[in-house]
Amino acid sequence: MADTRVGRRYALALFRTAKQGDVVRSVEDDLNGIAGLIEKDESFRTFLFSPYVGREEKIGIVERVFSDRITAITMTALRLLVSKRREDEIIVVRDEFVQLRREAEGVLHVLVTSAEALENDQRQQIEMKLARKLGRTIEADYAIDAHLIGGVRVEYDNFVLDGSVRGQLRRLRDRLTRDVLKQN
Amino acid sequence: MSEAATKPSSGTVIVRTIVGIALMVGGMFVSKQFAEQFKTIEAQFGVPLDLGKTVATIGVLLIIFPVIQIFFIDPLRNAIAERNTNLENTFSEAESLRSQMETMKRDYEARLQAAESQAREQIQNSIREAQALRQTLMAEATEKADEMVRRAQEEIESEKQKVLTELRVGVVNLALAAAEKVVGENMDTDKNRKLVTEFIDNVEVAR
Repeated sequence: MADTRVGRRYALALFRTAKQGDVVRSVEDDLNGIAGLIEKDESFRTFLFSPYVGREEKIGIVERVFSDRITAITMTALRLLVSKRREDEIIVVRDEFVQLRREAEGVLHVLVTSAEALENDQRQQIEMKLARKLGRTIEADYAIDAHLIGGVRVEYDNFVLDGSVRGQLRRLRDRLTRDVLKQN
Repeated sequence: MSEAATKPSSGTVIVRTIVGIALMVGGMFVSKQFAEQFKTIEAQFGVPLDLGKTVATIGVLLIIFPVIQIFFIDPLRNAIAERNTNLENTFSEAESLRSQMETMKRDYEARLQAAESQAREQIQNSIREAQALRQTLMAEATEKADEMVRRAQEEIESEKQKVLTELRVGVVNLALAAAEKVVGENMDTDKNRKLVTEFIDNVEVAR
């Protein structure tokens, strides 16, 4: 089971090393690629997380798959994680690494969820408004959730800007329920 | 009757004895001397009269009277006196016991009365206490019953309000579910785009 504290330690060490070599973005891309493969490829995931497969065998396969696709720093980190039987920390290491990179660059990560895919101009307008109001560089991830019915919801730090139809209906329900309870 | 007064002196005894002897001898002599005359009288009158013997007999009685007195009359008298004394003692003892019993009886009756009076008073106290307790218990029971009724009424009212609230909240949820369905069915890309534009224009961004 993944432990955020362990993953964060590995991520911190990797980030410092990558920063020294000025290859932070490259390492991040590598980690995204590895994490993406783990998330999408079930057979690879099963193999990597299997307790019955030996360490040496895992390291051999991982080197064969990734050695010419990722940086040396990432490869070293990956080899270390596998040899220490910390394969299940790879996703956490990726997430923490990205977080560290954003903190170092002063970038604000924003999650924009909409009922339908947003046009490019709409995306730009959202990012520009947020960058202007918050005075920070915005890095947005976009997701689609038909459950919102319509409109858009923006999440960053501990804030949520809910402009979705679902959100409005929820707020209406809360107000009406509060009024009903007040009557008693 | 004192013993000193009744007991004859030794002088009297001697005199009586001498007189007795004299009479006895004299009487015998007379009886012997006048035996024929006495027989004639007896034959004539049918009465056996012999004065000589009579006097002799009196003399003998006078002689033997002290002996009788010493060995019979005095002991008898003493015995009678002793018996009288015993009887008197017994009577006085009985009288004393009787008066003691009277005193004890009075004492016991007094104590019995006191005990009865105390018992009666305790019973009265117990009755009063029981009555007071009854009053208290009844008052408590009434109060509890009233409290239970009040609580039951409060609970009923509370349940009623709870049900009404649930009903109203249910109505709100139903209405919003219907609104959600209607909005969802009527949503299209243009309306969605309009919503996004409105959001971008009006959103208040918090720091």
